Amino acid sequence: MFMTETPEPPAVRLTGLTKSFGANRVVQPLDLDIRRNEFFSILGPSGCGKTTLMRMITGFETPTGGSVELDGQNVDKVPTKSRDLNMLFQSYALFPHLSVYENVAFELRVRRTPKGEIDTRVKEALELVRLGAFAARKPAELSGGQRQRVALARAVVGRPAVVLLDEPLGALDQKLRKEMQFELKRMQREVGITFIYMTHDQEEALTMSDRIAVMSEGRVLQVASPTEIYDEPASRFVATFIGSCNVLDGVIDAHGRSVVVPGVGELPAAVPADARPGTGVTLAIRPERVRMAAAGTSVPPVGAVPGTLEERVFLGDEWTFHVRLASGGVMTVSVPSGEEAASLGAIPNGGAVVLSWLPASARVLPAEAVAA
Amino acid sequence: MDRLTSWIARLVFVFLYLPIAALIVYSFNSSEVSYRFDGFTFRWYLELFQDQMLGDALRTSAIVGIIAALLSTAIGFLTAFALVRFRVKGRAFFLGAILVPLIVPEIVLGVSLLTIFSTAGIPTGFVTLILGHVVITLPLATLVLMGAMSALDPSLSEAATDLGASPWVTFRRVLFPLLRPSILAAFLLSFTTSFSNIVISTFTAGVGTTTLPLRIYSTLRTGLTPELNALGTILVVATLGIILVVGVAQMRRILAGPRP
Repeated sequence: MFMTETPEPPAVRLTGLTKSFGANRVVQPLDLDIRRNEFFSILGPSGCGKTTLMRMITGFETPTGGSVELDGQNVDKVPTKSRDLNMLFQSYALFPHLSVYENVAFELRVRRTPKGEIDTRVKEALELVRLGAFAARKPAELSGGQRQRVALARAVVGRPAVVLLDEPLGALDQKLRKEMQFELKRMQREVGITFIYMTHDQEEALTMSDRIAVMSEGRVLQVASPTEIYDEPASRFVATFIGSCNVLDGVIDAHGRSVVVPGVGELPAAVPADARPGTGVTLAIRPERVRMAAAGTSVPPVGAVPGTLEERVFLGDEWTFHVRLASGGVMTVSVPSGEEAASLGAIPNGGAVVLSWLPASARVLPAEAVAA
Repeated sequence: MDRLTSWIARLVFVFLYLPIAALIVYSFNSSEVSYRFDGFTFRWYLELFQDQMLGDALRTSAIVGIIAALLSTAIGFLTAFALVRFRVKGRAFFLGAILVPLIVPEIVLGVSLLTIFSTAGIPTGFVTLILGHVVITLPLATLVLMGAMSALDPSLSEAATDLGASPWVTFRRVLFPLLRPSILAAFLLSFTTSFSNIVISTFTAGVGTTTLPLRIYSTLRTGLTPELNALGTILVVATLGIILVVGVAQMRRILAGPRP
């Protein structure tokens, strides 16, 4: 046996994994390591290939190329039923003819676990999801949130190494969704199982994940922690898909210190040291990092950008302002509700404003970073 | 207008059920001719039970019906499963091909079956009767089961597989219990279709395997006897019994609550 530097192999390792349906390649060859006990989200719009990716990990789909390793073992030839992972289906796929108890016990019975142990473990799993009192009910007699918990109990009762969750909160209403986000995170910590969570909802991914993989058109664009993904998006797609983001196209100025946007001028930006003057880039600035003031009222730091306030939208916890720039583009500025927002209320629609931001808040991304 | 439609509805209802009512009433008629009701009797039932030829025919029909229905349901289940669940190559072709025997006139099927059997040297009898009936009952069973299966969440069998179940365990613990009413429906539909078939039986029955409808049909030559009314009554009551039993089970399932 060889000793490698990392004694523990990753929970899931994908190597050059790819899938085509006919001429249509839905998952481009990708490499990905998912660590043990990690809450790992795969985030992307519908049709980005995440469902196919997940179905290749479970073994429901045969990859066109590449391989899947679970806990260091290649499982390309291992059928779904023998892979040490379970899935929580978007539809929950609870067996409608079985009680909650029997649904959870299904795997243990199929795998011929001793009777006494089945009872202990089913009760344990139902306690985990706080449904101990509902053991005798049929799935049809439960609410959506309860069904979801049963599905989760059923997925973890066999103590698999990995649980894959396919948009499990999609069918729930907004309030229940928020509650379940925290619940899922709590349960994942309690059971110590690697969770791979598929979602198209960036908020869900940011709230729960240890790491996020952003997918688009069959490619993984970035794998990083939620804060990194949000603060340091690697591409224009990631910047605009996660949260809202202002993007401006421009070029690196002659000194390699700022970005020149046609029609607007020289803008402060976090230009990388190795950036070459004249290179076309995309500037990405989060709306909450932009400060707005009435024209002439204050002397902003470097590179104030003039504009016209076009519209304001009240969202409860914050105000969003739309500002038209001289170039014709629109920038969004968000300000939390409070004194500052109240003082900005004095600016009439159509009034002249200046926008400013710290250079560090404006991220310089390669132009046309969107996957072709 | 409403009154008129309601009267039409009543007349249609009477028209539909009058023959059955007449059949039952005349099965107890002590007169030998049907235009007179002379009094109540069980005589025809007694004669029916002593009629060896009808008894044999009934047994033949029951055996053929049960075997044909079993075969159709089993093959139909697998066919439906393949067509509903998998991206089978030539799926559209199979779907069409399944329907063809339902559209082709039975007389044509009968002739061609007889041609095939005599070419292959298979003597007419139980085997040919059953094969002939399966040709028309298989499409029915397949259609019934396809409908039921497409209504089932495909994730259910995937979930079972994911939880470690083999295909057989998935069938036994998940698919069969959920599809039981439809499997029963497919079986009963196949059975009754086989049981009442005349045209295909005419071509495929052999000496000693005359089915009940063939036997009844042949008695036309000697004239209908009230015995047949008694037989008809028994069949109607048996059918109603089955519908009642299955129907009650179905109702209970529906009342148990909607499926998610």
